[in-house]
Amino acid sequence: MKKGHLYTLGFMVVLTAALIFILAAAYEGFKPSIASNAQLRNERAVLYVFDLEKDLTDQQVRDTFGQVIEETAIQGVEGYAYKQDGAVQGYALPFEGAALWGSISGYLGVNADMTETTGLVFTKQSETPGLGGRIDELVYREQFRGLPIVKGQPLAYGSHDGYTIDAITGATQTSTAVLKTLNTMMDAVIFQEGVQ
Amino acid sequence: MSNKSCQMCDIAKTQVVRENQVLRQVLGICSSLAVTNSLNNSLVMGLGLSFVTALSSFTLSAMRDIIPHRVRMLVQTLVIAVYVIFVDLFLQAYLPEISKQLGPYVGLIITNCIIMGRAEAFAQKNPPVPALFDGLFAGLGYTAVLLFVSLIREVLGFGTIFGMNVNFLGFTTWTIMIMPPAAFFIIGSMIWFLNARGLKKSAPKAK
Repeated sequence: MKKGHLYTLGFMVVLTAALIFILAAAYEGFKPSIASNAQLRNERAVLYVFDLEKDLTDQQVRDTFGQVIEETAIQGVEGYAYKQDGAVQGYALPFEGAALWGSISGYLGVNADMTETTGLVFTKQSETPGLGGRIDELVYREQFRGLPIVKGQPLAYGSHDGYTIDAITGATQTSTAVLKTLNTMMDAVIFQEGVQ
Repeated sequence: MSNKSCQMCDIAKTQVVRENQVLRQVLGICSSLAVTNSLNNSLVMGLGLSFVTALSSFTLSAMRDIIPHRVRMLVQTLVIAVYVIFVDLFLQAYLPEISKQLGPYVGLIITNCIIMGRAEAFAQKNPPVPALFDGLFAGLGYTAVLLFVSLIREVLGFGTIFGMNVNFLGFTTWTIMIMPPAAFFIIGSMIWFLNARGLKKSAPKAK
């Protein structure tokens, strides 16, 4: 059957409005759950950089986070401090930078006097799955525990005095971008703080 | 399939076996290559796609008399997009880990040719209930292929089934199985096998 332009236009407008209304309602319904998942993921990430996250259930993550983690600002950057019995054990410093496909962000954990890293976690990355995306795997991230932080000696791949980091084969650009992002962040935050 | 009441069985058999969307129509290959390195991901992806195909076919079929013909593809895309976003939100809310692993592929269900294929080929001309089952079984046929491919890939690539260790012999896992090319070879071999069998069956008739 033949239908006029006006009918077509009206049909599209009504249909689009109806579908958007349904989607908006669904989104409102799911929102609390999605937000709580996002928060949990963030808390788990912060605990991970202090090596506190091993095999914790979701509830334990929330409890631990509430007990030992506090929000703090270092050089005007909003990060987290890990405190035990009132004494700071370390900081989780947020970083963000450009990688191959999109931006990467996450936290770098450092000890209280900012001389060593305690861990690295990504909260957002969109690198190629199976290649650059492997920066999110433990094999890669676990290398970032206990690396020395020395002014004038940015982190680099390969064997160095006191540490070794391996890049990911087949993902040179992503690997390079990660270290560049971390070094930039350390220059802007840690070395401004007057460490060494 | 002797009686007419078994239209469902017929649709099911056609969609899952005879005209399997992945193996016979060669549709939905992108996600078949991408997500099949673990059974969990394949299952969720397959169920997500079945849900979207079934409901979008149902909806489009219910509206088939009022959709202006010249904008039908716009309407199809719109309806499919709504269901896909719904699945995406659902996964983010209740299965956050799987949602993270599937990443962009859930959103890409929209571009899966199977859905629009069924909308164009079946839902457009048939009543809602058969359209619902047609979409559902097309999705389940896709799911079956995905599960078969990921069974091979997960066992050989990770030594696990649904994340449970089955690597009792301690063999070295194949890294290639985790990467998309593995699915390319497996699906390619399956299509080859089916085509070769189909040719053999039809050869005497052709004479």
